[in-house]
Amino acid sequence: MTAVVGRAVVGTPTSRLDGREKVSGEARYAADWPFENPLYGVLVQSSIPSGRIDSFDLAAAESAPGVARIFTHLNAPRLVPMDSPPLGQTFLPLQSDRIDYEGQHVALVIAETLEQAQHAARLVRVVYERGPARIDFRAHLTDEIEVQGFFPADTSTGDVSAGLGGADVKIDVTYRTADRHHVPIEPSATLADWRDGKLTLYDAAQWVHGVRIAVAHVLGIPLDDVRVISKFVGGGFGCKGFVWPHQILAAMASRELGRPVKLVLSRAHTFTAHGYQTASEQRVVLGATRDGRFVAIRHHSWTPTAISDDYLETCATPARASYASGAIETRNRAVRVNRGVPTPMRAPHEGVGAVAFECALDELAYALGVDPLEMRLRNYAERDPTTGTPFSQKNLRECYRIGAERFGWARRSPVPGTMRDGDTLIGYGMAGAVMFTVRMPSTARITLHPGGDVVIETATQDIGGGQYTILPMIAADALGVPVERVRIVLGDTALPDAGGTFGSSSTMSAGSAVFTAAQELKRLLGGRRSVSQPLTAEGKFQPEHSDALSMFTFGAVFAEVHVDRDLPTPRVARITGVYSAGRIINPKTARSQIIGGMTWGIGQALLEASELDLGLGRYLSKNLAGYVVPACADVRELDVTFIEEVDEHASLLGAKGIGELGAVGVAAAIGNAIYHATGTRVRDFPIRPERLL
Amino acid sequence: MIPSAFDYARPENLQDAFALLAEHGDEAKLIAGGHSLLPMMKLRLATPSILIDISRIDGLAGIDATRDGLKLGALVTHAALAASEQVRKLAPALADAAAQIGDTQVRNRGTLGGACAHGDPAADYPAVLLALGARLRIAKKGGETVKEADDFFRGMFETALEGDAILTEIALGPAPHSAYVKFPHPASHYAVVGVAAKLELQGAKIASARVAITGVGDSAFRAKSVEKALSGVDAGDAAAIRSACIDAAAGIEARSDVFASGSYRAAMAAVYAARAVTAAAIR
Ligand SMILES: Cc1cc2nc3c(=O)[nH]c(=O)nc-3n(C[C@H](O)[C@H](O)[C@H](O)COP(=O)(O)OP(=O)(O)OC[C@H]3O[C@@H](n4cnc5c(N)ncnc54)[C@H](O)[C@@H]3O)c2cc1C
Repeated sequence: MTAVVGRAVVGTPTSRLDGREKVSGEARYAADWPFENPLYGVLVQSSIPSGRIDSFDLAAAESAPGVARIFTHLNAPRLVPMDSPPLGQTFLPLQSDRIDYEGQHVALVIAETLEQAQHAARLVRVVYERGPARIDFRAHLTDEIEVQGFFPADTSTGDVSAGLGGADVKIDVTYRTADRHHVPIEPSATLADWRDGKLTLYDAAQWVHGVRIAVAHVLGIPLDDVRVISKFVGGGFGCKGFVWPHQILAAMASRELGRPVKLVLSRAHTFTAHGYQTASEQRVVLGATRDGRFVAIRHHSWTPTAISDDYLETCATPARASYASGAIETRNRAVRVNRGVPTPMRAPHEGVGAVAFECALDELAYALGVDPLEMRLRNYAERDPTTGTPFSQKNLRECYRIGAERFGWARRSPVPGTMRDGDTLIGYGMAGAVMFTVRMPSTARITLHPGGDVVIETATQDIGGGQYTILPMIAADALGVPVERVRIVLGDTALPDAGGTFGSSSTMSAGSAVFTAAQELKRLLGGRRSVSQPLTAEGKFQPEHSDALSMFTFGAVFAEVHVDRDLPTPRVARITGVYSAGRIINPKTARSQIIGGMTWGIGQALLEASELDLGLGRYLSKNLAGYVVPACADVRELDVTFIEEVDEHASLLGAKGIGELGAVGVAAAIGNAIYHATGTRVRDFPIRPERLL
Repeated sequence: MIPSAFDYARPENLQDAFALLAEHGDEAKLIAGGHSLLPMMKLRLATPSILIDISRIDGLAGIDATRDGLKLGALVTHAALAASEQVRKLAPALADAAAQIGDTQVRNRGTLGGACAHGDPAADYPAVLLALGARLRIAKKGGETVKEADDFFRGMFETALEGDAILTEIALGPAPHSAYVKFPHPASHYAVVGVAAKLELQGAKIASARVAITGVGDSAFRAKSVEKALSGVDAGDAAAIRSACIDAAAGIEARSDVFASGSYRAAMAAVYAARAVTAAAIR
C-alpha cells in the first residue's frame, strides 16, 4: 500500500469545519428534525428485574387525553429474530410477558404531545409476577460461562505455571472496576417516518447502515424501503453503535399508526435502553526474575452478561500484546445476571483490562525495587508476544522517552509518600496503553462540480471525532484544492456504505475510501483542473487481514496526582500522553480526541460508577447527579504528543485510530500515582476518597 | 417534574393561617420559601391539596439584636442572614452557614424557619442551632411554646413541630467565638459533613465548647465527647484540637449514599470538627 505523503493540508491543525453550525445551533441532531404532525412516544420500563407481566391495567392511561395507542406485548406486532451485531440486544421488545431485567421496556405510549404521552405513561399499571433474580455477578463467579466475543476468550503461549514456579518475585492480585454508562450529552433519539410504504429514520446513530439492516430485518420490510439519517450525533461512545429496542419500537409504532413518531429517551431511560460497560473482576498473576524480566503473565477476567444475550468484555487483552514474556495466559469469562446486555464503551476490552494489568505491573515494579518505567523498557515487546509476528508499526520506546522527558519523570522520588507540598501528598504514576486496530470496509464518492466545488459522499458518521473536517482535508490534499472548496455529506444510508463509527476506525477506513475516490477522480480528470459537467468518481477501501502482522496503537501515559492529607481527595494535576498511532491527519481534532479520552480515564479512575441496588437490580441514580463524570474543574493540564509516523500497513493514509486509545492506561497511571502519593494501593476502581482513609 | 394539582391560600396573619390549618388538616402544607417543599412536590413525594403561604405574614422576618443576643424571625432568608452585620458579629457560625447554602436563588428565597422545620439530615442550620444553643418559638392556635434546639431536631425529616404549628422565631445567645465549616455536596451544596463549633475562651484555653454535626446521622447531633475532650485544650494547639475531635461521630450510625459512604462521613466529621474549632478559636 502507498501512503499520502507531504501534503499541504494533512498534518496541519485545522479547526472543525462544522464548528460554526454546532455552536450556532444550526447543526441538526436527531431530535431536532422538523416533523409535520408527529406523534410522541414515551417508554414504560419494568420495575422488577426478573419474572413476568401478569397483567396490565391500561384503562386510565388509554382514556387520558391525546393517547393514540399503547403498545405492549399483547398488541405489538411480532418481530423477526436477528443476531447481534447489528442488534445490541437480541431479546426483542414487547414480544412476550417475560422480564429479564429492571428497566426493560414493557410498554410504549404514543400520544399527540410529549406531555400527554408522559402523563399517560405514568398511568400505565403493570402487575408483575416476580421471579428469582441474580444481580451480583461477583457473588456467582463460579457460575462462569464461555461466551463468544469480538476477540478470542482465551489465549495461551508458553508454560505459565512453570514460569511462575521459577520466578524470583511473584504478584497475585485481584482488581475490580465498576459498571459504567456512556451518558453522552445527547440521549438516544429516533424519529420514525413511515410514508407510502417507506420508512425514514432520523436517528442518533454511530452506524446508519447497521440501523437500516436491523430495522428492515426485524420489521420484515425490504432493505430498500428503509433510509436512516444521522447528520450530527451528540456523543456516542459506543451506546449508539449497535441497534437497540427503542429504535425498532419507534419504527414499528410509525408503521402501525401511519404517522411520524418521535421517540426521545429520557436520561433515566437511557440507563437501561442501551448497553453499559461491565464491571469487572480481574486476577493478574505476574512472575519475574530479580532483575525485572517477566517469566510469566496470567490475566483472568470475569464480567456480567445478560440472561438471554451474550456479551464478553475481554479485559485480559493488554496482557496479550504489551510485554515480552515466554509464557502468557489470558482467559475471559462471563456470568449471567438479570441486567441489560453490556456493550462496548470507550475504551472497551483493553481500556478495562489496562486498569488491572498496568497497576499489577506497577505493584511488581515496587516489589522488585525497579522504576516502573524501567520495568516496562526491560520487557519491551519487539514482536507480538502472543503470535510472534512483528507489529505493523510500534514506536512505543519513543513514547516512553518523550513522555518521561515532558513529564519530568526523573524528578520522581522512588519511595511512596515522600513527595509533599504542605498538606498535599504528591504522586507520580505511569502506565502503558495498547489498543487493537479495527478497520472497516468503506466506500465513498467524490464529485467535482463546475466552478470548482468538491463534494464527498460517504455514509460514515461524525460523532464528534472530526470526520466532517478530516475527510475534506484528505480530499483537498489528494486533489490539490483548498479545503474550503470541499464539502462532505455523511450520515445517510442513501450514500455509499462506510461502516460503523466505532473501534476507532472511521478516519482510516472512510478516509482511505475518500482517498481512493480522489485518486480515481484525478485519473478521470487526466490533468484537467476544471469541468463543465459534474464529474464523479468512486473509491473503496477493503482492509486485508494478514496473519503476518499485528496491528495495534500504543501510548505511554504519565499522571501527577495530588491527594489532600485530611480529606483525602485525589485530584489529577496533570497528564502527559505520548502516542504511537500512525499518521495524524488533523492534529487539532486528534488532540481533542485524546484529551477527551484522558478525561474519560479520569472518570474511570476517580468518579464513574453506576451503583446498583443488589436487591432490586436497579441503578440507584439514573441521572448525572448520581452518575458523576468529570467536570471542567476535574480536568487540568493535559499534554498530548503524537510520534510522527506513517503506518503503511494499516490504511492507505498511513493513519490508524485514536478515538479510544486516549482513554486507555489513564486510570492505571492515576491509580499508580495515588499509590506513589499515599502508599495505599487501591485495587477497587473508581478510587473514591473513602478508599484512601 | 410536575406537581399534582393544589389550591393556594395566602393568609395575612397567624390567626388566619391557624384557621386554614384547622380547616384542611393533613391535606395542607405551609410554604415559606418553597425551596425544600417544591422539589418534593415536583417529585410527588409531597402531594398537598392546598398550600398555605406564610411568606407575607407580618413580623416574622426581623433580625433583632437584643441584650441577650439575637432574635430571628422564621421568615428571614438565608441571604439576609449572610448579609447581616449583627449576625456576623454576634453569631458568626450562623452567617457562615447561611452564606454557604445552595446558590444565590436558594439563598434569596429559602428561609431559616423553613430549613429548620424541614428537618433535612444534610441541612446546615441544625448544626449551628445545636452548637449555639438556640431556642425555637412555636406558635399554635392555643398559644406558644419554646423548644431548645436539643429537643427540636428529632430524626430524618422529623422535628418537634406538629402539623398545626408554625415556627415563628429563633433566639440565640451571643456566640462571638463560633464557626461553621462544611464539606459541600458539589452539586446541591448540602452538607456531606458540616460542623458548627462554639467556644468559651479563658485566656489561651478553651473553657468550654459546643460542637454539633450535620450531614452524618439521621439528624444533626451534638458531639458531646468532643465537647468534653476540648475543655482545657490550648486554643492554638492544632494537634491537640485534632486529637480531641477524633471521635466526633462515635456512636452515630453514619449514613451512606452514592456520594459518600458512612465510614467516609464519620472520618470527615473528625476532620471538619477540628477545622470548625480552629476557626472558632481565632474569631
Ligand atoms: C438547589 C438547592 C440547594 C440547596 N442547598 C442547601 C444547602 O446547601 N444547605 C441547606 O441547608 N439547605 C439547602 N437547600 C434547602 C434550602 O435551604 C431551603 O430553602 C430550606 O431547606 C427550606 O426553606 P424554605 O423557606 O424554602 O421552606 P419551604 O420549602 O417553603 O418549606 C419546607 C418545609 O417546612 C415547612 N415550613 C416552612 N416554614 C415553616 C414554618 N415557619 N413553620 C412550620 N413549618 C414550616 C413547610 O411546610 C415544608 O414542609 C437547598 C435547596 C435547593 C433547592
